[in-house]
Amino acid sequence: MVAAYGALLLLTLVFKGPILKGPWLFLLRSFFPNWKFFHAVGRVPHLYVRGFVGVKAAGKAAGKAPSEGWTDWQLVYPRRARGQGDLFHNAETNLLLAQQNLVDHFWADLVDLPDGADARQLVSFAMVDRLALNSTLAFWPEATQRQFELRMVLSDPKDTLGNNPADSETMLTTPVLPCQR
Amino acid sequence: MPTLSLQTGNLLAADLSGFTPLMAMALAILFTLSWLIQTAEFAQIFRMLPRNAASKPMATGLHMATNLHQPLDWWDWSLQRADIPNPTWRRWADALYSPTGLRWQLWLRAGSGLALPWLVYLSFNCGLPSATALFLTVGLLLALQLLMLIRWRGAFNGGSDFMTLMVLLGLFIAAGVNLLSAPNRHPDLGWRAGFAFIALQAISSYFLSGSVKLLRPEWRNGRALTLFLNEAVRGPLPPGHWLRQAGLARLGSWAFILWECAFPLALLHAEWALLFCLVAAVFHFLVFWFFGLNRFFWAWLATFPAIIWCAAAHWN
Repeated sequence: MVAAYGALLLLTLVFKGPILKGPWLFLLRSFFPNWKFFHAVGRVPHLYVRGFVGVKAAGKAAGKAPSEGWTDWQLVYPRRARGQGDLFHNAETNLLLAQQNLVDHFWADLVDLPDGADARQLVSFAMVDRLALNSTLAFWPEATQRQFELRMVLSDPKDTLGNNPADSETMLTTPVLPCQR
Repeated sequence: MPTLSLQTGNLLAADLSGFTPLMAMALAILFTLSWLIQTAEFAQIFRMLPRNAASKPMATGLHMATNLHQPLDWWDWSLQRADIPNPTWRRWADALYSPTGLRWQLWLRAGSGLALPWLVYLSFNCGLPSATALFLTVGLLLALQLLMLIRWRGAFNGGSDFMTLMVLLGLFIAAGVNLLSAPNRHPDLGWRAGFAFIALQAISSYFLSGSVKLLRPEWRNGRALTLFLNEAVRGPLPPGHWLRQAGLARLGSWAFILWECAFPLALLHAEWALLFCLVAAVFHFLVFWFFGLNRFFWAWLATFPAIIWCAAAHWN
């Protein structure tokens, strides 16, 4: 029986069925776990934001000549130091991980979007837009306008975490948006 | 006192009269612990949502920016409600995910979670009434988990949500079969089915996770391990960390890939199952340590009694 079970598991690795999609299937996907964790290395979606803070402030913040008042692009990525008792209560880290999952889902939604469709109709766009707005204001409270980008970044061994432009591909850049909640 | 070396014929004929309640209680207690930890985290997070945000802000931990405080308005239900395709269901969801609705859900989660071990205990001793109560409570837990998953667009924490749901389904099978099979005569028949389902899911999770890595060259040469650790929420690894050395990273990768792939062997002997589960506990603790995934630790720990029970039943 154990052997038959093992053979069945091996078959699931070799043969792949069609991917079923639908709004309820997405919401109830926990019923169909695939148990494939951290298996593939490749390009992963990263969210970048930048703000318009005025020519003087942008130059001061970047320590160099400003680009017409815009700050440099800033990565929004979950990082958090270990805390005591995290094994029993770790809400903040789990929330940060959910935030990155949201960015991943946004990427998946963009891939599935039909040609010519407006990304702004996506729920994930609305949520990432709000995340980007909060992040922009957190980085630059004085920002009056903003943009965000979704880049596919190749995991690289130099730990630059996406700061190497040669290894990234921009999937979406928003037009200039207001910094208003 | 039951032993782990039960030399019995097969799953249905095994004499596990003392061992089954013991493992059922162990599973119920570990699951309740996992469930309450999740519930407490949800309670803290929901206090940060916009309609309640005045109470207490939370640090976002954005990369390169520290000590930031802001409301979590990207998780606002007013944005997410468009995920619900049916207008009628959307109206129901509006009520369920209102501040009052969420508060009720959290209290129900805490109450029914705490009741679970007691009801499991009673179900072995008090027949039909307690079997009915257990079935209804597990059904409620299942419904509450589904509501919480929908609130987080299908999953809050990925794999741990999946495994929590699988354990709940196993408990539901156990409670349902017990209820239907005259609990006074066959008090543990349902548990056999429930344990088998949970063990199957847990062992599959290890085996599939290991197998897909075995097929990838970047895992076989150890590079993927270093890359994922650098990108983890606790990352990057310090410059002199031993996992930055290619040889040691390769050794580490192979060690846990082979262990994961070998996990189905745990079903052959109860002692092996115990050993595999002990190593698994260390493995999940390391995953927590490096990736911050505390929920994985508890969600998988709750499956260990089912694995040990199935191995003890000499399921071959």
